[in-house]
Amino acid sequence: MADDWGMLLFRHLIDAGIEEAEAGELTDDALAEAAAAGVEPGSMYGPALTYAGALARTVRQATRHAAPPPRRRDAIVLRLRNVTKRYRRRQVLREVNLDLRAGEVAAVIGANGSGKSTLLNICAGLTRASSGTVQRTERIGYAPQHEGVAPLLTPAEHFRLFGAACRMNRKEAVSVGSQLAAQLGWRPRRNVVASHLSGGTRQKLNVVLSELNGPDLILLDEPYQGFDQDSYVDFWDQVFRWRNGGAGVLVVSHMLHDLDRVDHVLELQPVGES
Amino acid sequence: MMLLTVASISLQEMIRRRVALLFVFLLPLVFYVVRIDVHWQAIRFLSVGVGWAVATLALFSHVGARRLDRRLTVIGASPTALFFGRQVALAAVGVFVAGVYFGLVAVTQEDLPHLAGVALLLVTTVLIGAPLGALVSLVISRELEGALALLSIMALQLLVDPAGAAARLLPLWSTRELTAYAIQGHGSGSLSSGTIHFALMMAACVLIGWGAGVLRLRAVRVSPVPVQESPHATLK
Repeated sequence: MADDWGMLLFRHLIDAGIEEAEAGELTDDALAEAAAAGVEPGSMYGPALTYAGALARTVRQATRHAAPPPRRRDAIVLRLRNVTKRYRRRQVLREVNLDLRAGEVAAVIGANGSGKSTLLNICAGLTRASSGTVQRTERIGYAPQHEGVAPLLTPAEHFRLFGAACRMNRKEAVSVGSQLAAQLGWRPRRNVVASHLSGGTRQKLNVVLSELNGPDLILLDEPYQGFDQDSYVDFWDQVFRWRNGGAGVLVVSHMLHDLDRVDHVLELQPVGES
Repeated sequence: MMLLTVASISLQEMIRRRVALLFVFLLPLVFYVVRIDVHWQAIRFLSVGVGWAVATLALFSHVGARRLDRRLTVIGASPTALFFGRQVALAAVGVFVAGVYFGLVAVTQEDLPHLAGVALLLVTTVLIGAPLGALVSLVISRELEGALALLSIMALQLLVDPAGAAARLLPLWSTRELTAYAIQGHGSGSLSSGTIHFALMMAACVLIGWGAGVLRLRAVRVSPVPVQESPHATLK
């Protein structure tokens, strides 16, 4: 019974991105403590899946605290001045202003159709603003809301492709991608293409790809859709780890309860026809 | 490095489209078998079938990759490497298909005056089909509409009188000339006119497709941030 629980715990830890050796040690420790207390591990810790999630989060947090901030803080990474966007007669954005510095998180909120994704596309350089100025750092990461990954490619192939775009070699790209995935509680499996991943895991891949090149500015368009509660917590932990590391983060969000933790809230209002 | 990575990963992606690849092989076979009784027509239809199949594969490959390519260019990928990387992968698949059908022709057709000419016409057809599909995908951004446009081009290719001057504007006119050289024993006139038409048509498809691809993927120029600002961010 204890062996079965231990085996399950080990597997779930691996799936949550914990290294095999560390997962083995954590499992042995848990089993040893339960044996010393003279109870079944399941009754002491609860279901293996839940305990594995809690353990994995603790391990990741410990790793994050050990990581030094690599970037210079306080430099402006994104500046928007009177940015306006019109599609023919329909005005989508009106005079948006923002200064975002390294080491800050800004949340973009607003109702459907208020231009949140359009604003992110303008910041990324995918859409031209009708008027106003956009200044930003050159090295950016970008996670779109939809179709950010290729359905028929494996995560490792995504890492290679995105790594090549920022001049990383194949080994380095796969290694960095796998490490970033582990920080989101996910261990990519070989030979599983993106279309066979769950919606939440596909979004984790989307987020990992936005960070692969170690950008100074990360643009995220509601990337947590499909995340379960643990993944959602991991995602925001990741956002604040980026901030602590000195990156500027601009994230489109519908989740108002997280806004007290961000540095800026940019609320967009639907503008409509004029 | 980017070009080779794009090529190898695109190839892998295409190999995973097994049903699509099956039809890439089946389409030319159907064209060939339908006219097997008239060998010169069978080979001409076969090569048009190969070109159509490769062009359609190219269309779907380029349309399917568009959003990913835009994302890649945001982080610094070269639109040129993305375009030519996919083209190399498509040409590799096309040349493989051409090789298989060259083997079929060599086994099933006897007394061809220039057997090597069949290889030439199949390969040249592939090398036009791949950029032609890309070009259509860049002009018509939706898969269904693009596939119908290719269908129209290929139907014209099969139905129009090849002796007419307007026929030379069609992408696979060279295929007909090279077929004449390979099968009917026409002199080197057909070989040279077919080769020149192929070179011009391929260059046009590649250059226009590449230019349109670069324009489509070109990021909006964004000014760099000022070198140093005083601390304390402001939101206005």
